[in-house]
Amino acid sequence: MKKFSRRQFLGMTTKAGAATMFAGIFAPSASSMLGLGGVAEAATKKIKPFNFAVLTDAHLYDIADHKFDHILEKAVADVNSIKPRPDFVLYAGDLGQSGKKAELVKGKKILDKLKMPYKIIPGEHDYYLDMGKAWRKLFGDEHWSFNHNGVHFIGMNSILVPDFWTLKKLTPKERMHMMEELECHNCGAWGVGEKQLNWLARDVKRVSPDTPVVIMTHSPLWDYYPRWNFQTYDAPEIREILRKFDKVISIHGHVHQVVYNEINNMRSCGLLSTSWPWPYPPVELEYPHIKQRRADPGDFEDGLGGHDIAVNADFDAIVHWREFSDLLPDNIKKGLKV
Amino acid sequence: MKKVRKISFTTAASVIVVSGTLIVASMAQAKPPRSETQIAQERAALMTAVAKGDDLWHSAKLGNNGLACANCHPDGSASNVHTWPKFQTNLGKVGTLREMINWCIAVPMQGRILEYDSEEMIAMEAYATYTHRGVAIAPAKDEQHGAVPVKSGPGYPRH
Ligand code: HEC
Ligand SMILES: [Fe+2]
Ligand SMILES: [Fe+2]
Repeated sequence: MKKFSRRQFLGMTTKAGAATMFAGIFAPSASSMLGLGGVAEAATKKIKPFNFAVLTDAHLYDIADHKFDHILEKAVADVNSIKPRPDFVLYAGDLGQSGKKAELVKGKKILDKLKMPYKIIPGEHDYYLDMGKAWRKLFGDEHWSFNHNGVHFIGMNSILVPDFWTLKKLTPKERMHMMEELECHNCGAWGVGEKQLNWLARDVKRVSPDTPVVIMTHSPLWDYYPRWNFQTYDAPEIREILRKFDKVISIHGHVHQVVYNEINNMRSCGLLSTSWPWPYPPVELEYPHIKQRRADPGDFEDGLGGHDIAVNADFDAIVHWREFSDLLPDNIKKGLKV
Repeated sequence: MKKVRKISFTTAASVIVVSGTLIVASMAQAKPPRSETQIAQERAALMTAVAKGDDLWHSAKLGNNGLACANCHPDGSASNVHTWPKFQTNLGKVGTLREMINWCIAVPMQGRILEYDSEEMIAMEAYATYTHRGVAIAPAKDEQHGAVPVKSGPGYPRH
């Protein structure tokens, strides 16, 4: 794991004004993010209730005044209006569309309008032009963890594929173009890879099993529809490492839709994008009632939105999909208890 | 109409001249079954159209905002090609698949619509339709439309 100085870290994802606040909130466990070891705060058992917001999949293009810019701006304004105000925001990847620095810079500019600090991980669309170089320069490490009010938060890069480009002599642009296709049949399945698995094992080693855990990845930590990389190939290993915890909440982007699943102690929530909704893949869901309804292609905000997740003292989390249009089924309109 | 009848008359007449009494047999000889080569060529032509349509579905060139059909319709999903013509709310009438393709070019992609019988339009239809072969017609009511399972590769033989 790359080590960052504290100053670098603070400067990475927050605008200047938020840096102090960020330090204030996360200071007790900043060492955990820096990988210094011996950090894991024992669970306080009693969680101090709070809420946090999640945004993902803006897919910004390097085109001025693009409709997706406005949708992300609207989502940011929506998060800023949530009451009580979220303590922080998580961003689950695919901020850009084609991995261009200009897209990521534009995205950061919009995200910096958030009134609270945010943490972010990369998606495949942010990554495969320069293998994450521009992204890391703007946002820092691709995996991290921190503790907040008694909950252990983890973020990881789940979109790493084995090299399919060197033998084919693809240019970075060609490689990126292939990865941009959801059904790319040359790219292969992705995951977090061995290095991050080792990091995760080390990270949670000292975290006591009664600590509530929230893990954010770009792709689902279960085999939803591998053809569209609605999967993470080493998710079984991740679930195994996290198996000791009473409850793990997994949140993921990439699917651009409301979807829910449970495996052992893990509850997974798929998130709404701020770009376009995806059709449900041809698989039977365990929780078919947790889906959104058909989006109208004539309404550019249909099927899109952000999220507010409230955590109570018993680590019951209420996930609110804040859809711009009302396409949620009645049973989750007031949130889903996970 | 008249012209066609005249041609067939001439053909029939020449057959009679050539083979005398065995009219039926010689007509069969005059129109041999399509050869394997010809069938292969015709199939290849279809697959070329399908491949071209695949490329178009994945191309940002049809639109003006960087988007491609496949951004929102991976594997041709949610286009429900086998359910047309039908009443489509966005069209506001009973319309065809090609009209809906043009509507999606014009609205979500802010692009320039295609001629209905252009090579591009036929290719777009060929790709989407080919991937839906054998799929039962079950249009969704208010749910998000689904996708067709594709086992591997692009979903059709492509070279
Ligand atoms: C920004 C997203 C987006 C883009 C880009 C887009 N579409 Fe659509 N399209 C949709 C949505 C959403 C629907 C409604 C899906 C449903 O009925 O479940 C739809 C519906 C359709 C339908 C009708 C489905 C039905 O049965 O009513 C067709 C056909 C279609 N699109 C074809 C295309 C083609 C071809 C392109 C490219 C030229 C394209 N779309 C581009 C979002 C998009
Ligand atoms: Fe995405
Ligand atoms: Fe993605």
